[in-house]
Amino acid sequence: MRAYLIFALKRLLQLAVVVFAGVSAAFVVAHFSPISPIETIIGRVAGQSSFSPTAVESLRQTLTELFGYDQPLTQQYLNFWSRFVRGDLGPSLIAFPTPAMELVMRALPWTVGLLTVAIIMAWLLGNILGGLAGYYQNNRPLKAFGIVAIGIQPIPYYIIAFLLVIIFGYLWPVLPISGGFAMAVRPAWSFDFIFSVLHHAILPALSLVLAGIGTWFLGMRALVSNIVTEDYVTYAELGGVNRGTIVMGYVTRNALIPQLTALAMALGGIFSGTIITEQVFSYPGLGTLLIRAVNGGDTGLVLAVSCVSVIAVASAIFIIDLLHPLLDPRVKVG
Amino acid sequence: MQVERDEIYGIAGESSSGKTSFIKVLAAAIRPPLRVVGGSVEYNFAGQRIDSTKASEAEIKAIRWRHLSYIMQGSMSVLNPVRRIEKTFGDFARSPLGLDCRAFRERIEEHLDHLKLPKSVLRAYPHELSGGMRQRVTIGLATVCRPEFMIADEPTTALDVVVQKDVLSLLRNVQKEMGASIVFVTHDMSVHANIADRIGIIYAGRLVEEGPTRTLFTEPKHPYTAHLVASLPVIGDTRPRPSLEGRPPSLADPPQGCRFHPRCPLAIDRCKREVPPLETVGTRHRSACWRAQEVEPLVRPEATVAGAGA
Repeated sequence: MRAYLIFALKRLLQLAVVVFAGVSAAFVVAHFSPISPIETIIGRVAGQSSFSPTAVESLRQTLTELFGYDQPLTQQYLNFWSRFVRGDLGPSLIAFPTPAMELVMRALPWTVGLLTVAIIMAWLLGNILGGLAGYYQNNRPLKAFGIVAIGIQPIPYYIIAFLLVIIFGYLWPVLPISGGFAMAVRPAWSFDFIFSVLHHAILPALSLVLAGIGTWFLGMRALVSNIVTEDYVTYAELGGVNRGTIVMGYVTRNALIPQLTALAMALGGIFSGTIITEQVFSYPGLGTLLIRAVNGGDTGLVLAVSCVSVIAVASAIFIIDLLHPLLDPRVKVG
Repeated sequence: MQVERDEIYGIAGESSSGKTSFIKVLAAAIRPPLRVVGGSVEYNFAGQRIDSTKASEAEIKAIRWRHLSYIMQGSMSVLNPVRRIEKTFGDFARSPLGLDCRAFRERIEEHLDHLKLPKSVLRAYPHELSGGMRQRVTIGLATVCRPEFMIADEPTTALDVVVQKDVLSLLRNVQKEMGASIVFVTHDMSVHANIADRIGIIYAGRLVEEGPTRTLFTEPKHPYTAHLVASLPVIGDTRPRPSLEGRPPSLADPPQGCRFHPRCPLAIDRCKREVPPLETVGTRHRSACWRAQEVEPLVRPEATVAGAGA
């Protein structure tokens, strides 16, 4: 147990280093981007009516002070961190003067909710079906599913998303194809609202599940069909061990170890992976927000979205890392 | 062939001569694409007869571990790497023994103690044990239910001679105590000399000779056995050993007649046409050779001693 705690602390330290490096990189990229938020604001304001050049100049000065651009870069960097730990990343531009963090926090539950459900569903379904297909290699429905999985797996996820929109939005319009919930419903903890949220999540989630399930299915099927030929499985069969115990404790248990690592790796690509899906379904999540921020030249908001995704992904991997030694006793902790 | 109660029956033969396939039939472990095309395997467990080639899955399951256990080739990989030893014991032996939790635990601890394994082994994972310990654990696993019949497939291969000797004497002791029968498979003739009461020699999937260990080593009645026995090294003896030309035949397309005739120095025309039957050539000694009476040991024990002295 002591060894495990030390291991967890080490991983936590690693998490801190990853977050620090990731957030710093995001800061540097945002800072050196050719798009200046100040010029974007001035352009927007000056475009609406005619201002005297002195007024524009004083506006520029005010904004430079507001964003702290008059200070040297190192000072800006330190200021950024001191505000960052308090959860303040400055005002957004596209929804000025709402703080960027507030926009991110508003979008975060949508993305996290959608992703967690979709990834876990794809992982579970893919692994269960793949495991069964690897164990019962002559089962016809599972064989057929394998062929379908091979067919779906190489299709990019946004193509699947568009196909779903066409099928369920136009050809057979039974499901909502845009938004997070119906306009007519007020956001509250009511049955109507929750139902509406779930109803609207079906298609985006389905597109993510369909895009993910093939990979998990094929991976698990290959793993299990290897493991059933392992000596310890044959031996357990010869020993008259219960079939259920063999399937769960001998086959699945061993196959899950690499699949868990793969899940951690898949989580790394997930925030970037949903951006287009959210865009296709106009889902009010981080991906949509990020695209709006990029289009609006809102570097502060881009920075906020990037920082939050860095933290979310690193934390997810941290949690899976903590689970790993519990699943595989050969991973020595300490 | 027939294996008696309280006997260790050794099965010897080259690699790919069909040893493992043969005992898989005994253990009812034949899986597609393999199948049993003929013959039968009859067990008599406490008066209850059962044919493992014809019995149903459930009938086989009922005798597994209770009456019939198996020690598999390659002790390194027969234990589930993510399961503690105690759980593996539970999986295999809990239902055949039918004991409650505490009695079961006591029984296992007692048994491990008997095999000179510390109790801490139960809490360990396979990768935390040495090769010898793992092999003893698998032997413990196979013997804890005191089965009447055990099948051991090369249990000592991949162990060094010291550990090998330990494991063999352990197996021998356990077998003597329980009065069980063991079918013991290995290609290592010196292991057979150590442990087996009787030996059966398999060549190209057929039993070619069978007899008590001593008889087989001193008076082999099949040319193949004669060569096999002659291949054993003796300390101090530096004479070259006669070796057999060629390789064992493909079992998909075995030669006509006696399967050994293409490599046999004593082969005559008859051997190419007719399959020699397994006939009695001495006390409990059978050989499948048309010229069994003419087979002489290739290396005389006396000559060996003389050679060593010279």
